[in-house]
Amino acid sequence: MSGGAAAPPARPGPRRPLRTGPIWLALQLVLAGSLILLFLIPIVTLFTYAPLSGLLAAADNAAVRATIWLTLFASGITVLAAVLFGVPLGYLLARRRFKGRAVVESFVALPVVVPHLLVGLGLFLALVIPGSPLYRLTQALGLPVYDTIWGVVLVMVFVSAPYTVLASELSFQAVDERVIEAARSLGAGGATAFLTVTFPLALRGIVAGLLLSWARAVSEIGGLLILAYAVYPGGPYNGPVTSTVSVYIYNLFQIGDLADAASVSSLFLLIAFVLFLAVRLGERTGWVPWRRGELAP
Amino acid sequence: MSRWTISGLEADLDRFHLGPLDFDLSPGRALAVLGASGAGKTTLLRTLAGFLRPSAGEIRCDGVDVSDWPPEARRLGYVPQGLGLFPHRTVAGNVRYPIELRTRDDPTPRVTELLERFRLAPLARRYPARLSGGELQRVALARALAADPELIVWDEPWQALDVLARYELGLVLHDLREIEQIPIIVVTHDPALAFSIADSFLVLRAGQVREQGDASVLLHAPSDPFVARFVGFENVYEREVLARGAPGSLRAWLLGHAGPEGVAVATPTLRPGAFALPVWEGQVRSARPGPDGVSVEVVADALLVSLRLPPPVTSPLPVLGARIPFAIDPATVRPLGAPSPPGAAR
Repeated sequence: MSGGAAAPPARPGPRRPLRTGPIWLALQLVLAGSLILLFLIPIVTLFTYAPLSGLLAAADNAAVRATIWLTLFASGITVLAAVLFGVPLGYLLARRRFKGRAVVESFVALPVVVPHLLVGLGLFLALVIPGSPLYRLTQALGLPVYDTIWGVVLVMVFVSAPYTVLASELSFQAVDERVIEAARSLGAGGATAFLTVTFPLALRGIVAGLLLSWARAVSEIGGLLILAYAVYPGGPYNGPVTSTVSVYIYNLFQIGDLADAASVSSLFLLIAFVLFLAVRLGERTGWVPWRRGELAP
Repeated sequence: MSRWTISGLEADLDRFHLGPLDFDLSPGRALAVLGASGAGKTTLLRTLAGFLRPSAGEIRCDGVDVSDWPPEARRLGYVPQGLGLFPHRTVAGNVRYPIELRTRDDPTPRVTELLERFRLAPLARRYPARLSGGELQRVALARALAADPELIVWDEPWQALDVLARYELGLVLHDLREIEQIPIIVVTHDPALAFSIADSFLVLRAGQVREQGDASVLLHAPSDPFVARFVGFENVYEREVLARGAPGSLRAWLLGHAGPEGVAVATPTLRPGAFALPVWEGQVRSARPGPDGVSVEVVADALLVSLRLPPPVTSPLPVLGARIPFAIDPATVRPLGAPSPPGAAR
């Protein structure tokens, strides 16, 4: 007998690992790439459909310039309104505890989920049917909404401001309470601490929300088809009778002018792209203030 | 510098109740607030700083009741957990902030002076995200001092610092206290630094004062297992753990010496041959040589016991798994939760 103890069960040695790395990477590339491809199809098609000469002709066309100007102007006012009303609402939701907060939050999200034709119809019934109290109010204030720039702005604010409110709420929530408390303790009153610490720290998220709001505003069509299909001069807009870019393109499509529709679309895409790129480049170079602190010294 | 008197202070946050607390802090004194998580340490500091309104009691600064003053009026150098530095301002911008708020004069000379003092001048244009833990703490301190505080209130000043940075910070706080006579309140989990800075201690548990006084009070009569471990007892046993021991066992012997909260034993020293006391036997789990002898961990009566072999360290070291005898001198045993010995300093 040698020893007598049973031999320990053989333990498996190291195993050759399965080389899943390349497959895993390929899977990610294919899945992510498919979506990018989907995004690119209409954009590339539009640009290839509209030759450069068409693009230049569109840019030179007074009617096209009017629709683009109207859209940028109305969406600009919309963004200002989003800052003025949306940011305070976001702050309130982020920092204050009050009863019915969940209800208010649901109302804020509502415009994102309801069909926009419905929004247009609701605003039309409330503000355009003579005799309704809100109609009388808009008349008394000299702010008629039917087929005016105010109508455009109203629809745009309705459908786009929630993005600013939600982004502001998240950004204000993300500001560390202790940083604000440090500022207070160092001698800043409530308003000073907000202006010097809370707002600058939340600014980046707020700007992201404003960009989304702007994008949503310029792409709006459903509500405008009902409330402001055409826009007549009046109020701050004193150009020719026109419509927003989205309605304008829809009209060109309706009459079968695909080449012009593609040209105007491409031109507007280009403008939007340049605007977004400018903001992103500004962030990367530290030219805009809201990302300072994350950049290298 | 000011004298702070806190009397009958109480505060409520949701369902948590803090206090009543009474203590005072003269210029140049430092108080360490100790306690496990949820004991109310941060609630106390936030109440002092003005972020929570006291539900009763007073906070007086040189006799003036500041209990309902807003935070910005209290002149506290309040440094919250995580330091609360402004990520969007450079180091210099952080230090400049309180000066800009208080004066229209050019803040540069004072900023420069503080940056030099805390060896931050080369980092002046960096943002906090690019600094090490020690550098961040120095910025927080420089910024707090820029506000010319009447009291420094610091929550967990030594979180995530390496040994050298902790040592440096300890020296700086010491200077502030000794030379500038600024009173300091710190919350910390680090006993070594608490003892090196503070001359009085306040132990909180569930919002109530468990113990209050200088270090000797804490060492002589630790109020509970938390305090015992904090002041350096390595062998701390809660009462219910000991209650399960058989008659004549180590657990039963310790239970005989325990207070309502349990018992703490200073590290018993192994002195072979000197056993006039009951001798226990433990199985060696680890043996770690160091400058003050060999620290040996044994398991005895299913309790983990830390022992020490006094220097010089001789080989062989106790072998893992070997059984060795040890005795516990009753003079090194402290009942936990027993009433404080008479005459202990408050």
